[in-house]
Amino acid sequence: MSLTSTPLTRDRTSPSTAAAAGTVSEAGAGGRAAWRAVAVRALGVAALAGIAATVVLGLWVTPPDEFMGNLVRLLYIHPALAWVMYIAYGVSFLSSLAYLWPRTRGPRWDRLAGASSEVGVVFTGLTLVTGSIWGRPTWGAWWTWDPLLTTTALLFVLYLGYLAVRRIPGDADTRARRSAIAALVAFVDVPIAYFSVLWWRSLHQTPTVDNPVNGKTAIHGSMAWTLLLSFVAFSLAYLWLVVHRCRLAVLVEREESEGLQLAIEQRRSEAVGGAS
Amino acid sequence: MWRDALLVAGKDLRIELRAKVALGQVAPFAVVVLLLFGLALGPAVGSGSVLFAAAAGLFWVTVLLATVLAVQRSFALESVDGASDGLRMSGLDPAGIFVGKAAAIASQLLLLEVLLAAVASVLFDRHLAGWAILAASAVAATVGLVALGTIYGVVSIGSRQRETLLPLLFFPMAAPVLLAATKAWDAALADAPGHALGWLDVLLVFAVAYVAIGTVAFGPLLEDA
Amino acid sequence: MSGYVEAGYLVGLGTLATYAVTLVARERAGRRRLEHLESTPRDDPAGDSPVTYAP
Repeated sequence: MSLTSTPLTRDRTSPSTAAAAGTVSEAGAGGRAAWRAVAVRALGVAALAGIAATVVLGLWVTPPDEFMGNLVRLLYIHPALAWVMYIAYGVSFLSSLAYLWPRTRGPRWDRLAGASSEVGVVFTGLTLVTGSIWGRPTWGAWWTWDPLLTTTALLFVLYLGYLAVRRIPGDADTRARRSAIAALVAFVDVPIAYFSVLWWRSLHQTPTVDNPVNGKTAIHGSMAWTLLLSFVAFSLAYLWLVVHRCRLAVLVEREESEGLQLAIEQRRSEAVGGAS
Repeated sequence: MWRDALLVAGKDLRIELRAKVALGQVAPFAVVVLLLFGLALGPAVGSGSVLFAAAAGLFWVTVLLATVLAVQRSFALESVDGASDGLRMSGLDPAGIFVGKAAAIASQLLLLEVLLAAVASVLFDRHLAGWAILAASAVAATVGLVALGTIYGVVSIGSRQRETLLPLLFFPMAAPVLLAATKAWDAALADAPGHALGWLDVLLVFAVAYVAIGTVAFGPLLEDA
Repeated sequence: MSGYVEAGYLVGLGTLATYAVTLVARERAGRRRLEHLESTPRDDPAGDSPVTYAP
């Protein structure tokens, strides 16, 4: 299924061929679409396999840490989720830029920005929750006003706001442009969140509990490999989710325009029928 | 651009002089918020109390709330009688419109902050020391907050959920500015100007960044509103 | 101690799985609706000529 189809230019001379061509693949792009479908399917399988392997390794094969005990197993989930969050927002930023740049403007970048941001919000929420679950037995509290936690929580709400901006009614170009600018502004907070651990320490000079999740503690052997695998697996999952979210966006757009055209035609035929 | 900015700022300020919304509604609102904070966290005052320690933060949260109101008011002016169409077709430079609107809001807010600082120092029993740093950081923080608010204000201008959308968009982005302003004031009030200067730098960066983004983005956003 | 680890894995992976499943479900439903829309018989009042919109 082509991601760049523009419904309004579909050939309309004969209703029967239009119906026959169907929605899933335009006649000429059938071969390409089939390959793409296979690739996405393979991506999904790889992501699933990677995550399953991470779980098995993380929960059973790897040894408990000498300091953290079994809690270290959360290290195979939480940092990967945070990593994907940053990637997702980075992609949102870049594709919003691509949309605003006149030479590369096109609905696919707007769709990508929206899809990546939505997936990013999911991963941000999960990062916060898994971090909180890690923090409870470690620091004794579900939440602390640590700069990293606070800025990440802000990031969550911020991109929820971005998703709200995407929903403001208007024509497609207006919505896309407005959303793109909102994405650029929202992205300003991403480096703030990322560097917050560094900056707050240098400005405050207060000893902070060294967060082993962020610090470079030396881990080795099976633990290091599992950590690496988790990053790869969740990145693949991110890609798969974004592809499907983009597809959904295309379907929604086509549904809107098809529904509109259908309604227009029905009104027309009513009018003609009434007049004759 | 500057002439257009002055034109728009003058218009907004003249409307305010006549309607007295900032004076009559936003300022009392802000004072009430400070009182509510006192109620919620008091009644103890003096150097050991919560109110004493939190004074700078409470002040800036109040300013943030007042900023939202001021921005909403500023864009409500443009939402009636096709005023926003008039603005778009007037041939004014959109960057100038942005600077003008932001300047008008900022000047009203700065006056409000002077009033609020006096009230807060009385209510929370804090002596206002380090005037230069207090003033400089307040100006930088206000410019940053207002620029940011104006950017989001124009986004929500066409939306029917304007009242709830603007705070949702604005507050998370404003949080770093809020934090820096609070820390700067904390340091200034505690007579540690060295620390405050670091935070002042942060505030200046935000102010410059948001004004720059605003001047560039305001045009397209106004078109789409 | 270990209860937290299981909870973390469950929440993290469960949420992702739920999101993935809902995406696929919405996609399928959307595709069905689109096919239905496109195959709805339409009455072309002007005969078999292409649809044009009045200037």
